[in-house]
Amino acid sequence: MSINLDQALQTFIAEARELLEDMENSLLQLESDPENAEIIGAIFRAAHTIKGSAGLFGLDQVVGYTHIVENVLDRVRDGSIPIEGNLVALLLESRDHMAELVSVVADQGGELDDAALKRDKALRARLQAYQGVQTGHAAAVIEPEIEASGGDVEGTDSWHLSLRFDREILKNGMDPISFFRYLGTMGEIVSIVTLPDAMPPASEMDPELCYLGFEVNFRSDADKNTIAGVFDFVRENSSIRILPPHSKVAEYIELIRSLPEDEKRLGDILVTSGALTRQELEEGLDAQKHPDADGASPPLGEILVEQCSVEQEVVQAALEKQSQARESKSKENRYVRVHADKLDELINLVGELVIAGAGANLLAQRANDSSLQEATSTMSRLVEEIRDGALKLRMVPIGDTFSRFQRVVRDVSKELGKDIDLLISGAETELDKTVVEKIGDPLMHLVRNAMDHGIESAEKRLAAGKLAKGTLKLNAYHDSGSIAIEISDDGGGLNRDRILQKGLERGLVQPNQVLTDHEIYNLIFEAGFSTAEAVTNLSGRGVGMDVVKRNIVALRGSVELDSQTGQGTTVRIRLPLTLAIIDGFLVSVDKSGYVVPLDMVIECVELTESERQGMKERSYLNLRGEVLPLVPLRTHFEVEGSHSRRENVVVVQYAGQKAGLVVDELQGEFQTVIKPLGKLFSNLRGISGSTILGTGEVALILDVPSLVQQAANAEQKVASAG
Amino acid sequence: MPIRAETRNGVCHLAIEGEMTIYTAAELKNEITPHLSEPQIEINLSGVSEMDSSGLQLLILAKRETQRDERVLHLTGHSQAVLDVLDICNMAAYFGDPLIISSHA
Amino acid sequence: MAKTILVVDDSASLRQVVSIALKGAGYDVIEACDGKDALSKLNGTKIHLIISDVNMPNMDGITFVKEAKKLANYKFTPIIMLTTESQEGKKAEGQAAGAKAWVVKPFQPAQMLAAVSKLIMP
Repeated sequence: MSINLDQALQTFIAEARELLEDMENSLLQLESDPENAEIIGAIFRAAHTIKGSAGLFGLDQVVGYTHIVENVLDRVRDGSIPIEGNLVALLLESRDHMAELVSVVADQGGELDDAALKRDKALRARLQAYQGVQTGHAAAVIEPEIEASGGDVEGTDSWHLSLRFDREILKNGMDPISFFRYLGTMGEIVSIVTLPDAMPPASEMDPELCYLGFEVNFRSDADKNTIAGVFDFVRENSSIRILPPHSKVAEYIELIRSLPEDEKRLGDILVTSGALTRQELEEGLDAQKHPDADGASPPLGEILVEQCSVEQEVVQAALEKQSQARESKSKENRYVRVHADKLDELINLVGELVIAGAGANLLAQRANDSSLQEATSTMSRLVEEIRDGALKLRMVPIGDTFSRFQRVVRDVSKELGKDIDLLISGAETELDKTVVEKIGDPLMHLVRNAMDHGIESAEKRLAAGKLAKGTLKLNAYHDSGSIAIEISDDGGGLNRDRILQKGLERGLVQPNQVLTDHEIYNLIFEAGFSTAEAVTNLSGRGVGMDVVKRNIVALRGSVELDSQTGQGTTVRIRLPLTLAIIDGFLVSVDKSGYVVPLDMVIECVELTESERQGMKERSYLNLRGEVLPLVPLRTHFEVEGSHSRRENVVVVQYAGQKAGLVVDELQGEFQTVIKPLGKLFSNLRGISGSTILGTGEVALILDVPSLVQQAANAEQKVASAG
Repeated sequence: MPIRAETRNGVCHLAIEGEMTIYTAAELKNEITPHLSEPQIEINLSGVSEMDSSGLQLLILAKRETQRDERVLHLTGHSQAVLDVLDICNMAAYFGDPLIISSHA
Repeated sequence: MAKTILVVDDSASLRQVVSIALKGAGYDVIEACDGKDALSKLNGTKIHLIISDVNMPNMDGITFVKEAKKLANYKFTPIIMLTTESQEGKKAEGQAAGAKAWVVKPFQPAQMLAAVSKLIMP
């Protein structure tokens, strides 16, 4: 395959996947809103577009299967078959199968395996039941409708030509009978009706004028243009109407739908498909120029149908095509497809730029040259904007990830025999694409878990005075430099006592330990903890909550859980918005630099001498009457060397908890390019990464969440001990 | 020239010779029309060498004029040229005359 | 009885090609090299169709068509004008003169045959 074609194929694959996702969402919507023609139309178009494009790449398997799906959808669209649960289920399965076909056949260039082939066959058979066109009964229902609009009076599949010639043609040597003889060479004249009605009485009749009209049924494989071409020389002042056979009408519609989606005018679409000849179009356009009695120009489509140039159905298909083309065009205008790798590369470069800029800044300060400093500060500002812009490129709304769960919830609730609704909010909340990609699995587990263990059976719910239908909510919002994602259910809540008991059994909790409810609930994130009495198919998939937590922590995020007995459970995930660059706040202890993510910094306080003395006894500070647990970084990181003369506290906040980091010096804001730590350091607590300063020195990025947690724990220990 | 006319047993016999085309249409009309008031007319077409729409039109005109006041017009001895046109335009039934279909057709 | 076609063009090679094609399809062909020559061929012979170029020496096609239409024996004879894309004006002029059919140059023999057979079968 040529490089260009291969690229086009990649575009097709991406496009098909997007369409399949849309199709899935629409199908799910259709379940609750089966009459919605717009949704049905969208589903049809998705299948249709995939079929059309797949054809261009010769992906016959995709085309073949999608064609059947499209047929069924077409019948849904025209109301021949109603939407009901089984059909939606079948269409959803079909969608999955199409996705597989696209992956296997288009992406990997392979063949379906035996299981998939078997599925293919079974699905085709089931779809067949809905197709129905071939069965005698359905055909009988459809026939009259076509007859009503087609020109074919006799019910045979032939063209119908309605001819009223210019009276003068005979004088020009043009004889209708010659045209019929010529037509006979292109096909079979099934019948001709000669109409002499226009001929005046003998006394007024001019024998050199042509008064005869003809209605011709003509069977031929020729296209409309060729047939119309027979009458090219007599077109002037004649009325020549050519109505296609039924099969052609379907063909035109088919053709129109498969046209490439350039934005075209209605007439052009019809002419391209062969349903309309250029002359007919011109006549129609002429007619449009002469407004009717009301002074309004009727739409071209109406005129064309009225002058019998083209069928209503064909115009309809062309209009749909037009709006589809417009839609896709406006979409194309709004987006440029860029390979994610290129973006990553760009962001890496911006990262390097930030570091280089910091270096230049530092040199400028040292050189004590004010104009140089001015120049570098302007540059820093620009670099900052570039950085933000570059990062924004990678931000995607979480909605796509969320909406995938519509299907999951639907399928799983059926599997479980529970009736569960999914409510999504905050879908527009954006976060880094790399984060989005990694959050899918943990979310999946949490959602399944909530459905399986969280939401009770309908009987239990009714007994508890709740609605039989359970509700699962997915919500997202931005919160101090991170994104919070909540998965909440209105189920029975966690059983505090059982968790505690299990925690004791597993040695996660010491018998004499006093834990808050919150701490107890969060025990379920500890390794090897499971509360399910029966390990079901769902959450028994080997991934426990501990794995969920580990995955999230690996993303520099955190997870916590709230539960109220009888009311439900909420799991809250917090994730950094980006994994690449942050606004940092640079502090130092002795000679080492540390970066605190600026979003988490609330304020900075200089410690007074008395406070410094007090700190030796207790590790908290009275901050305007509030108890602020302290984390002295010098102690924490075992920094050697003498204490400096002054110390500062950086007050940070994470997930509603505050702590004070005790440092020597505050260096100020600093754009921080995060360099991940190697595996070697993965067990280091309190450090989430490193960065390179303008001087070329390395500074560690503090893992504020874990430090805050540590401070809070220490404070509680003190509190409970005291 | 192209028409021979004689009345036998109260039937007006017309025989058309040569072309029934646009070239002869005006002349033919002029010659046929006076006979169209006869109560019974028979037109022999065996001598028609060529026929086009204008020729067909003239025959239709004649048929219509006689039919209007329930007189009789018969076409006889259709030449191949006439048969072809009647066949193409599906007009044999309109005239209702017996046709001799030659093996050539 | 084969139908007779008069082919009028100053290009001998064109007449040749057209002639071969028409004869091959079963028509009889008479050739003329310009309007004047063509008029002289309209001497009572039965001609079923005329194919005429527009630009020719001695007598151009338009004049020829006008003259032919004046002749009782040929006034209803169908005429195909050979036009070119750039001669839309000539085409209209020819149509006004009575040449209602046209074939655009350059053409393939098959195109010419199609145009001819719409008007008369061999």
